[in-house]
Amino acid sequence: MISAELATALAGGIALTLGMTALTTVASLLLAFRLTEARMSPRRVVRLPATIVVEVFRNVPALVQIIFWAFAVPNLFTADTRRAVFFDNAVMDALGAVTGLPLPYYGLAAAIGLTLNTTGHLTEILRSGVGSMPGEHLDAARTLGASRRTAMRRVLLPTGFRTTFPAISSRLVHNMKNTALASFVAVPELFGVIQGEITRTFDATRLLLLGAAVYLVLAWLMTVVLDVVDRRLRPAGSVAGGG
Amino acid sequence: MGDDVAFVARNLLDLLIGLPAQRPGGLLLSILLSAASLSVGFGLAVIVASLRDAPWAPVRAVGAAFVTVFRGVPLIMLLLIVHQFAAGGLAGIDGSTLRSAFVTLVLYAGAYQADIITSGLRAVPASLVEDARVLGASPLRAFLTVRLPYGLRVMGPALAGQAITLFKDSSVVVVLGVAELTTTARIVLGNDVANAPYWVATYLAVGALYLFTASGLSTLFARLTDTERHTGLVGH
Repeated sequence: MISAELATALAGGIALTLGMTALTTVASLLLAFRLTEARMSPRRVVRLPATIVVEVFRNVPALVQIIFWAFAVPNLFTADTRRAVFFDNAVMDALGAVTGLPLPYYGLAAAIGLTLNTTGHLTEILRSGVGSMPGEHLDAARTLGASRRTAMRRVLLPTGFRTTFPAISSRLVHNMKNTALASFVAVPELFGVIQGEITRTFDATRLLLLGAAVYLVLAWLMTVVLDVVDRRLRPAGSVAGGG
Repeated sequence: MGDDVAFVARNLLDLLIGLPAQRPGGLLLSILLSAASLSVGFGLAVIVASLRDAPWAPVRAVGAAFVTVFRGVPLIMLLLIVHQFAAGGLAGIDGSTLRSAFVTLVLYAGAYQADIITSGLRAVPASLVEDARVLGASPLRAFLTVRLPYGLRVMGPALAGQAITLFKDSSVVVVLGVAELTTTARIVLGNDVANAPYWVATYLAVGALYLFTASGLSTLFARLTDTERHTGLVGH
């Protein structure tokens, strides 16, 4: 049976996993839209840096990015500065009060790492969606007097988003699973809580299977929600894919 | 600034091929571990994909459950679960962590590859397989000589993408302490406060190694699948 103590700890972990998932999902979608626009810019000075940044975000493993922001960056500073900038200040105190995290900087660092990694993947997906669109879409918008930027934001990006939504959803579910990596930098999300409980009770097998079951349920719930969004996104009258 | 470059240069060989006592390690072990898991995982994936297309519903359910479980649970957690069952101990206590990491990556890669194979096989025109059967091929032979090779060419790009993803995901085996690239970086930096100024440079180097290897693989695969397209069955 699950003790009341374990249930409270799990609830806290699940809340943090969901919170991090929501935050990184929204942040990476917004960033990915801006970056896709930059990657498809006719100006090389805009396009080239965006392309490089996307390659770095995508190809450096999420865990390495999380460790970089959480552990490596603060080490650039001397002990006193480090404490003042990353740990003991009003901003971190406020963040700690909102999230309940004892060391809010690590939570922030993990969120940054996850967001950038997911942004890289989403940008690549969106770009393929926009790139595969018939040129007439852009021509039509331009003929109607839209600027290139307006055509991109109002026509190409939304259409690309709709057509690639299945790939985007599976990446977002992957991002939810990746929040477990935050436990590596001492963030007590679901997997961190499970590990903490294992050290406390040594009941490893049961706790790991319980945690796995919770992740399966979360992944399933997220898929259900994203499927509903997918159906909503389809223009009325179009034929739903695969069924 | 110069100090951290010197630090990275001094430890570069260890990051590339592992610490002297644990070779092969570092990037080399990341590559070997991924390649081995992908190859064995592919065999597993073909089996799982055929289960999912089996004529008997309970068999199909087993195939589907396998994919759901190994795609739905975070890799970092799968590693601990497999290690728990295989070694019966907590991470890092026992010497068989490499075996646990390998088994987990096989299962994980197998689940993702099975998904790709399933959709690839479903894209093979049924008439092709029927033609083979009419010409006297057994179901197994028709599968191995017609359906699988034809499907594989369709799946090429997706399988290549999955291979690169697995290589990057292999960084997570650091949780078991397997001395591949990410773990080697941790060992090289250690707990020594004197190494603190070198953390950023070391992780930038680790990131660059992953980035170059992944981009290199992606260029290589693009060339391979392109050649396959021109010489293979899918002639357009």
